[in-house]
Amino acid sequence: MNDMRLTEKSVEANDTKISARGVQVYYGDTHAIKDVDVDIADQTVTAFIGPSGCGKSTFLRCLNRMNDTIDVCRVEGNIKLDGDDIYDKRVDPVQLRAKVGMVFQKPNPFPKSIYDNVAYGPRIHGLTRSKAELDEVVEKSLRRAALWNEVKDRLQAPGTGLSGGQQQRLCIARAVATSPEVLLMDEPCSALDPIATAQVEELIDELRSRFAVIIVTHSMQQAARVSQRTAFFHLGNLVEFGETGQIFTNPSDPRTESYITGRIG
Amino acid sequence: MTDATANQNPAHGALTTTDARTRRRNAAEARFRLYGQIAIAIGIAALILLLTSVLSNGLSSFRQTFLFLEVTLDEKTLDKSGVRDVEVMKKVTTIGYGKLIEKSLQSAIEEHGITVEGLTDKDVSDMISKEAAALVRNKVLANPDLVGQTVPVKVLANGRIDGYLKGRVTMESAERDSNVSPNQLLLADAMRAEGLLVKSFNWGFITGADASELRPEAAGLGIAIIGSAYMMIVVLFLALPIGVAASIYLEEFAPKNRFTDLIEVNIANLAAVPSIVFGILGLAIFINVAGLPQSAPIVGGLVLTLMTLPTIIISTRAALKAVPPSIRDAALGVGASKMQSIMHHVLPLAMPGILTGTIIGLAQALGETAPLLLIGMVAFVRDFPAAPPEGFFDPAAALPVQVYNWTQRADPAFVERASGAIIVLLIFLLAMNAIAIFLRRKFERRW
Ligand SMILES: Nc1ncnc2c1ncn2[C@@H]1O[C@H](COP(=O)(O)OP(=O)(O)OP(=O)(O)O)[C@@H](O)[C@H]1O
Ligand SMILES: [Mg+2]
Repeated sequence: MNDMRLTEKSVEANDTKISARGVQVYYGDTHAIKDVDVDIADQTVTAFIGPSGCGKSTFLRCLNRMNDTIDVCRVEGNIKLDGDDIYDKRVDPVQLRAKVGMVFQKPNPFPKSIYDNVAYGPRIHGLTRSKAELDEVVEKSLRRAALWNEVKDRLQAPGTGLSGGQQQRLCIARAVATSPEVLLMDEPCSALDPIATAQVEELIDELRSRFAVIIVTHSMQQAARVSQRTAFFHLGNLVEFGETGQIFTNPSDPRTESYITGRIG
Repeated sequence: MTDATANQNPAHGALTTTDARTRRRNAAEARFRLYGQIAIAIGIAALILLLTSVLSNGLSSFRQTFLFLEVTLDEKTLDKSGVRDVEVMKKVTTIGYGKLIEKSLQSAIEEHGITVEGLTDKDVSDMISKEAAALVRNKVLANPDLVGQTVPVKVLANGRIDGYLKGRVTMESAERDSNVSPNQLLLADAMRAEGLLVKSFNWGFITGADASELRPEAAGLGIAIIGSAYMMIVVLFLALPIGVAASIYLEEFAPKNRFTDLIEVNIANLAAVPSIVFGILGLAIFINVAGLPQSAPIVGGLVLTLMTLPTIIISTRAALKAVPPSIRDAALGVGASKMQSIMHHVLPLAMPGILTGTIIGLAQALGETAPLLLIGMVAFVRDFPAAPPEGFFDPAAALPVQVYNWTQRADPAFVERASGAIIVLLIFLLAMNAIAIFLRRKFERRW
């Protein structure tokens, strides 16, 4: 815990991008998220930490309505993106997901070429008008995901042929290519080596200038390094939420303290 | 060193000696392997037995005995008017042509100096298939200018003579047979020596129509092959889209509740329903209610579609289920709609499985006999169906039904034909499987 550089972080007071109030999530009879209130600021990296099974992924998936695809899952409460209720009947989850991109816990590139993986989002949303423009988006996205140098000579090779860490960066490039407003990342670095992790963290820091980024992580150091705000979940409850520096140096809840010092988890 | 002795568990012997438990485990494994090998050996033996029996019986049907004759197309018999008007010439029946062929055979025998004791004129004329006259007549009507000339023709020999050359008919059997006399066999031997009687490849077997009980030598599979092909087209174009659409709906869109469970169970049950039940259904619905014609490939195709659908649905659903959910998540995560995620990602990945299931279903349908008997495809059909789409409504036969049909006939020459038809059926099945493998490879290589 000696690499935390907490004090150097400046936390600007940004506008609220997502505001969640009284969110409850049930998987059948299991109450997975219990009455969570949280405000995600724009142009800020928010880290979700907590022991395994506490509901970090579940809550993350509420924010782009990926939970809709799970039959037994039921979401209650109120989540607003720029003031619009995303669970409103008139909201098309497809449009929502174009604005709220996601990188999954396990790398899941399409079994298509590297190029097609990145180009898929822009293609289906009609974001580019010409092939040249699309090429440019693909290159830019791959560069931002710190993958360009490794794959620039084999863009037509299958994305599934990359190493696990490269695949995850490909997935990040794919998510970035649609230029979302919010980027949800579920343990994006769990399959990466320290160098690639550092690259992705750099990328996250860079993305912050344009998006709100929410990252789920099991690494305290990572949360401390990349995030400005941290939310600590425990057994479905949001125990503590605040500025990262404060959570790590001076947590107000004893559970938070036990977790970050390694006593529960 | 005290630790090492403490670690010595009495249950573990020395590494080099096998204990009783390990021996038992190894023996069980060896036994299991043996069972597997025996099962595979039995399977291979059965396959070899089947193939040798079919091939040894049926291969000969692809070769047929022909007579090479110089027929003088006498103008007086064929076209008295001399104007070569086809309509007028059609009045001359096959009997007139038959006489000419007989005459040419007689003269050929004389020319080559063949003499056989006690050979009657009838013996000689019976050497020629009844089909020969029709063949020559068609040839002349197609080209009236041939009249007056002497043309070389290749006509079918009688089925018994063909049987003699193939070893089915012998001198002993001929003595007891009212359809063939030993004299004819002697004549056949002599003609063979002179090159008048030759066995050669028989395209007629593959392209020709079925023939009556009395002329097995002329019976062909043409109409059955066309009928089967038409039915396969109907099945492919109905069962594949319906089956795949139904599977996608059930797998990806339908809510999971009692009702869809019921549908699921029923589809599984439908796959197990005996095929003859589908035949009765087809007879009742497509022929009696919808009024479609009997013996038509469209009805056969519809019945086989019903039969194939459950197979296609079950295998397509299995293929869709096998696509990892993370791919769907990935597509939805970048903002694809459900339909886009299915069409762009899930379906291409499931394609090899879907194609395999479809082709297995088609192969099943191709070999199906029972339901076709009920909808009248067993009828004797002499006329070729038209080209599609009208041809779907013309009477036709089907390969497996043709096999069944021929095995029912008295003349042993039809047994050979039936085996030959089975070979053709097997070739079609092999071809379909080859296509399945090819398509699977092709779709898999893309990833
Ligand atoms: N599809 C599902 N169906 C039923 N229960 C689920 C489902 N997904 C998650 N859960 C339950 O919801 C709770 C929260 O799970 P979640 O995946 O959000 O945990 P997490 O915090 O992301 O854990 P980890 O750090 O291990 O990824 C767990 O108790 C889990 O068993
Ligand atoms: Mg998780």
